[in-house]
Amino acid sequence: MGRRPTEGRDGRRVQDRLSPPLKVRITYCAECGYEPQTLELAGALMREFGDRLASIEIIPWEDGTFDVRVGDRLVHSMRRDGGFPEPDSIKTAVREALAL
Amino acid sequence: MGTLTRERFEQGVTYDAFKDAMTRNRERIEANEARLTLSADDLAAFRGSRPLHVMALAADWCGDVIANLPVLARIAKESGTLDLRVFERDQNADLMDQYLNQGAHKSIPVFAFFDQDWNEVGVFIERPDGVTELRARKRREVFAAHPEFGSPDAPVDQLPEDVRARLQQELQKMRDETTERANSEVVRELRAIVEGRSTWGGARQREGTAGGSKTA
Repeated sequence: MGRRPTEGRDGRRVQDRLSPPLKVRITYCAECGYEPQTLELAGALMREFGDRLASIEIIPWEDGTFDVRVGDRLVHSMRRDGGFPEPDSIKTAVREALAL
Repeated sequence: MGTLTRERFEQGVTYDAFKDAMTRNRERIEANEARLTLSADDLAAFRGSRPLHVMALAADWCGDVIANLPVLARIAKESGTLDLRVFERDQNADLMDQYLNQGAHKSIPVFAFFDQDWNEVGVFIERPDGVTELRARKRREVFAAHPEFGSPDAPVDQLPEDVRARLQQELQKMRDETTERANSEVVRELRAIVEGRSTWGGARQREGTAGGSKTA
């Protein structure tokens, strides 16, 4: 049985793969020991979106930073919003950006 | 107010044992230890203090621990009046939970001072407010002197990598240049505790930045 014309070999809709490349950037405070939260979020995004993301960039910083940018949009900032984001809220932002 | 028993206190490790167990930043903590200058007046005040036990909550990744624990350790060593034991933050939740910053944040270091009857006599958390204010002011000055760094309130991930690297260097330089002043503030706060003049008992309720730092 052949693939439907709108599906790629992995069954994913071709349109999904044609979405503009979406980058996620996580800036975290290295001197605050925020590595676990950073890796947890990066892992959750990798598992959920795989190669639908163009990249996940991790930037070690300081000053109590924990910022998450999806495309051009800063979807979480510890300084602005307080605390760490729920991975689900970041996934929702990624889905919206990917128009899934 | 925190509670501590002798048995629990003695489960902590010495400062030297803490350093031996460090997986990173040992050079930095020892450099800060060597860099501290204690005035004769401060030293006399600590030497004249009643003997106190000091429970320190720490972790080797934390910048404020690397900055402030060696100050306390030098004072303990040179005064002979402070019995210091160090506890790893994430392995001692029962202690950490007693000293949450603003009742919510696991800020470190925590230095809790106890008399010989295990009454808490004072607490130091994270860093003195004066140090936070000093560094915030100096940080603003760095940004003002370098327009290419953009706004001090803007997320740094938007800066080009080379500019971000230069900003990091400038901030490190600023921290180095303010270390002596910061150490003086720490010594002043610790001296106030041992002399019974501390206001740090209420520090856990003080206002801070959203989300706090050193919070996990």
